[in-house]
Amino acid sequence: MSQSHPFVLKQIPEMRSPSLLVGWRQDAGRLGLKVLDYWGRKLGCQEFAEISLPDFFPLSGVSVEDDVVQFPESKFYWSQESETVLFLSDTPGQEYYRFLNAVLDVAQLHCKVKQVYVIGGMVSMLTHAAPRRVLGVVNQPQLKEALRLEGIDTSMEYRTPRGSSPTISSYLLWLAGRRSLPGANLWGEVSFYLAAGDDPWACKRMLTALGRRLDLQVDMADVDADMTAQAQKLDELKAEDQDINKCLEMLERGIMLNEEESENLVRMVTEHLQRKS
Amino acid sequence: MGVRFYFEPKLEKPDLIAAWIGIGNVGLTAVDTLRRLTDATLFAEIEPWDYYYPQTVVIKDGELKDLVFPGGKFYCKRVEDRDLVFFVGEEQADEAKRSHEMANLVLDVASNLGCQRLYVVAAAVSPIHHTARPRIWAVPNRSELLDEVKGYANTVLMSGIESRGGQGSITGLNGLLLGVAKARELPAICLMGEVPVYVSQLPLLYPRASKSVLEVLAARLGIEVDLSSLDKLAEEVEQSIEAFYDKMPQEIKQRIDQLKQVGEAREAEARPFTDEDKKRIVQEVEEFFKGGGRH
Repeated sequence: MSQSHPFVLKQIPEMRSPSLLVGWRQDAGRLGLKVLDYWGRKLGCQEFAEISLPDFFPLSGVSVEDDVVQFPESKFYWSQESETVLFLSDTPGQEYYRFLNAVLDVAQLHCKVKQVYVIGGMVSMLTHAAPRRVLGVVNQPQLKEALRLEGIDTSMEYRTPRGSSPTISSYLLWLAGRRSLPGANLWGEVSFYLAAGDDPWACKRMLTALGRRLDLQVDMADVDADMTAQAQKLDELKAEDQDINKCLEMLERGIMLNEEESENLVRMVTEHLQRKS
Repeated sequence: MGVRFYFEPKLEKPDLIAAWIGIGNVGLTAVDTLRRLTDATLFAEIEPWDYYYPQTVVIKDGELKDLVFPGGKFYCKRVEDRDLVFFVGEEQADEAKRSHEMANLVLDVASNLGCQRLYVVAAAVSPIHHTARPRIWAVPNRSELLDEVKGYANTVLMSGIESRGGQGSITGLNGLLLGVAKARELPAICLMGEVPVYVSQLPLLYPRASKSVLEVLAARLGIEVDLSSLDKLAEEVEQSIEAFYDKMPQEIKQRIDQLKQVGEAREAEARPFTDEDKKRIVQEVEEFFKGGGRH
């Protein structure tokens, strides 16, 4: 590829009209990462392209998380059989507009992508056992009905409050719209006390809703097993700690926790799940 | 990456007056007021996506309706036989490289319109009291302009500012624009209205400084403008400052009150308010607000 392009293509995928699914590694409940990782494994996706990191990520050193060195990734994968392109990336630190255009250039110009779905987690005051919604935001109104048919709520009203900024997912969706690429941001509800780790219930809900929309039939046994394992760990914590048990029962009865109770629940659950992982 | 023109104005040797968002929004308020009072017309704007991250997403009934970016807009107007171009930058660019590109982009527009002179309007953090009339710190980008600047009313050069000795810095795009103009041999003058050091830490406009700048600028340009709207705004802001002042502990109040004497001392050439004094008051005000205004 020409050096002027901020991406490297290792292979030109042969597809007719695939969908692009986007997930960010920094996400509530690691939802985008978990959903794309699941489909990547189940659909046998292969890596074929990468965004050039130095243009978009501050690479003056590395961060360390959970005792391990971290390094940004920004990669494309594809599955010919399912007509799917996955883009899984860390969120960039600079040159957002050029970064997002590079993503859409790979998708539209080299993969003939015809629609884009950006997956993200939305923190919600729910227990892990509560039913989850997926909220959809579209860039073309004709997509709404198709999403509604899959049980996706498409009635969101939102305006960025003062002091906040739009998400990079909104930026990507807007840019896709300017390039006449239909798409949607799909926000899966993530239980607030699972936001720092994994929320397999949110993951399954997203896999089900978007999987039906795109006809991505995959075996759900692994995510079901993740849900069972996570529920067991949370049951252990409830048995060990009466305060946590009480907080979870209150939430199940629809009683709101105060700030201190919420913070304590988040801290205790996060620490417990880290110990058990 | 570029500028979107709504029409191409035909202007005769215009002056460019530019400002970006900054402390007390002194520059932005001044330039925006002047372009409003002169009824200037929007003729171009910088395509924002290369320079800015969006500010606001608007979603209605599940549909992304708009993504709003900060603006960088050009206006023009002929006022009393003089053509003026205004540039209003609602945000500084995201990165140093982009700032340099943006400065060049603004000056490309100026150059194509035949601009002969650039005025950059900004703020100068200064040890003054909020009841004092702000002076203008003026910095030209070439020595031939020094004599002209010395003739401006209520204006000092860097060498005339207590304890500065002609040295200093102009941060952000305001400074960069002056530097890039110098490199492109476009004569430019930065006019910085004084903002009290303790007010610079507050999320407030400072229209008194904007007014001081506009008085100088209007005189220089030979135009008459009614600045009473800024007086009204200044009164409202002063009420907010007084409200902050009332909540402050006695110790900080005493330091702020000291600044009333600085103006008098300035006249009498007595001991100046030093950088050390300035740092201390900023720290104390910051600590006061970090504590949620409680002591």
